[in-house]
Amino acid sequence: MTDSPVLLVEDDPADVRLIQRAFKKLARELRVIRLSNGDEVVAYLSGEAPYENRVAHPLPCVVLLDIKLPRRSGFEVLEWIRRQRSGLNRLPIVMLTSSRHSADINRAFDLGANSYLSKPSIPGDLEKMLAQVESYWMRLNEPPDLQGGIAKAFRDRNV
Amino acid sequence: MAKATPDVALRAAPELQPPDVFRLLVDSVTDYAIFMLDPAGLICTWNSGAERMKGYPAKEIIGKHFSVFYTAPDLALDKPNYELKLAMQDGRFEDEGWRVRKDGSRFWANVVITRICDKQGRHLGFGKITRDLSERRQSELRYRLLIEGVIDYAIFSMDPTGRITSWNVGAERLKGYKAEEIIGKHFSNFYTPEDRASELPRRVLETAAANGHFEGEGWRVRKDGTRFWASVVVTALRDEAGNLYGFSKVTRDNTERKKLMDELQRHSEELELQVREREESNAELESFAYSVSHDLRAPLRAIAGFAQALQEDCAAGLDETGRDYLHEITSATARMNALVQDLLDYGRVSRINMPLESVKLADVVAEAIRQAQQGDDGMLQVDVPSDICIYAQSQVLTQVLLNLLSNAFKFQRKGVKPEVRISAEVKERRVRLSVSDNGIGIAPQHQERIWQVFERLHDRDAFPGTGIGLAIVRRAVTRMHGSCGVESQINKGSTFWIEFPVASEGSLEAKN
Repeated sequence: MTDSPVLLVEDDPADVRLIQRAFKKLARELRVIRLSNGDEVVAYLSGEAPYENRVAHPLPCVVLLDIKLPRRSGFEVLEWIRRQRSGLNRLPIVMLTSSRHSADINRAFDLGANSYLSKPSIPGDLEKMLAQVESYWMRLNEPPDLQGGIAKAFRDRNV
Repeated sequence: MAKATPDVALRAAPELQPPDVFRLLVDSVTDYAIFMLDPAGLICTWNSGAERMKGYPAKEIIGKHFSVFYTAPDLALDKPNYELKLAMQDGRFEDEGWRVRKDGSRFWANVVITRICDKQGRHLGFGKITRDLSERRQSELRYRLLIEGVIDYAIFSMDPTGRITSWNVGAERLKGYKAEEIIGKHFSNFYTPEDRASELPRRVLETAAANGHFEGEGWRVRKDGTRFWASVVVTALRDEAGNLYGFSKVTRDNTERKKLMDELQRHSEELELQVREREESNAELESFAYSVSHDLRAPLRAIAGFAQALQEDCAAGLDETGRDYLHEITSATARMNALVQDLLDYGRVSRINMPLESVKLADVVAEAIRQAQQGDDGMLQVDVPSDICIYAQSQVLTQVLLNLLSNAFKFQRKGVKPEVRISAEVKERRVRLSVSDNGIGIAPQHQERIWQVFERLHDRDAFPGTGIGLAIVRRAVTRMHGSCGVESQINKGSTFWIEFPVASEGSLEAKN
């Protein structure tokens, strides 16, 4: 079990409230960081201002990422994360979106998403879904090292 | 030491002296007329070949002037004396032309006249050898007549520089020039100014000379300035030693074909444009469907979500009426959600790429029943042979069946135990899959309307639904090269059927 927060990237305030409400109904207290556009995600994950303080702004254990976002789309954020070489590229990413288009689904996996969930239209289903996300990604899943790993691995390989 | 054959001949007939031997030799040649002329052109000797060819015995012709062998037009031109003059000047003269026999008939002759001088260089006269080429001439003539008679092709010859040397009727007909107008002119006259400017005629001859021939198509110009689309073959003409002595050119008027081809090309371009436009409008539809599913459903989700939150978190503050209103909100959002989903499904079934493959009907039926979550309560009877295959897209076909099944279970009569039967039969290489119920049935006047989008026959309270299910069925079945229909009686039940060509009947046919 991890204490790291969930990073929720969602621009629709109604969805944010409903998702946060669903998380609150879980058995345990969970920290949810909410960002509403792609640029903020990049700034947060790379520790740029105003997110320099990693104690106040810790790296998440999983990102719930919408596709349609202002400024930088979910796909662009996904590509950016997978391009990193600091270990951040290993960050588990779950697409959480209302699109069920196969083109979107395939593209997400092509770009390295770990999972693709579509927002349920029946309210009760959202709670069930998020309960499973919490149990799978925050308890069952072994979290990867997000800091410093890949650079060393690269160095070792390239010696 | 014996030297050569003449010596042998001399030994065999010692009375003969060398000049006699040569005279005998010349005399005995029958295929060539060989005789001598004195410097003035009077005939001095005559061999048997000459007698045979020209019809005169030696005593009749010796002493006569050789001009008796010439035709009147040649005599008018003083050709005999002209030939002697040239032979005198160059030592040798060769010519081909008509000559006249004693009986007045003509023959085509190859003539060689050689100047003869003694060792001191004094002019003694001329040797003349004549060959009868009539037969060769005949076949050449036939050939020429053949070519000249061809009217559908312009056939003409050119010298190595491209000047026209012969011209057939077809050429006259096609290009409008008469032979006497065009012979001697350069063939670039037939080309457009643009082609002449780019030196196409020169390149045509160069290619033909280098590769043996040139083939091409292009616009050419008639005498009157009009253009025609020509199919051209130019062939290099070489003698036995390989020297280029000219070109032949065969031209066909392909204007009609060209027009048809252009028309065809234009049509195919138009078609491509239409396809592109359709693809663009498809892409627009696609993005419309995308925003419908993504943007329009988001507020709906919020309404449903907050309605539920209201119900769960604030139930204490709501009375019976409030809870009733909440219920209305929730069911309206559910309905709208279903509508959006069905519309998207309808759009998808109309547009998606649908590769058809051989599908086992029984498998699809089983999958549809599994998804419908019906069948284990005994109301559903399935009678589909396990070996029937059709060409379809299995997910789409499953969706079709699911819609039919859901209708069959939905439109039931109150108080009647629902019975639904799925059956398949093969008739005339077509499979008909039927879904029958014992429900409310459909009046004949409504049996066509039900296939339209948003078409509903009943109150929402009695039978919920979006009115798109059967429209999806029809669209999907049509796209899979099938057909569909309904047979129904009010208060008895309905049988909806879909029909496809058989992909493989397996043992079904063998059994019967």
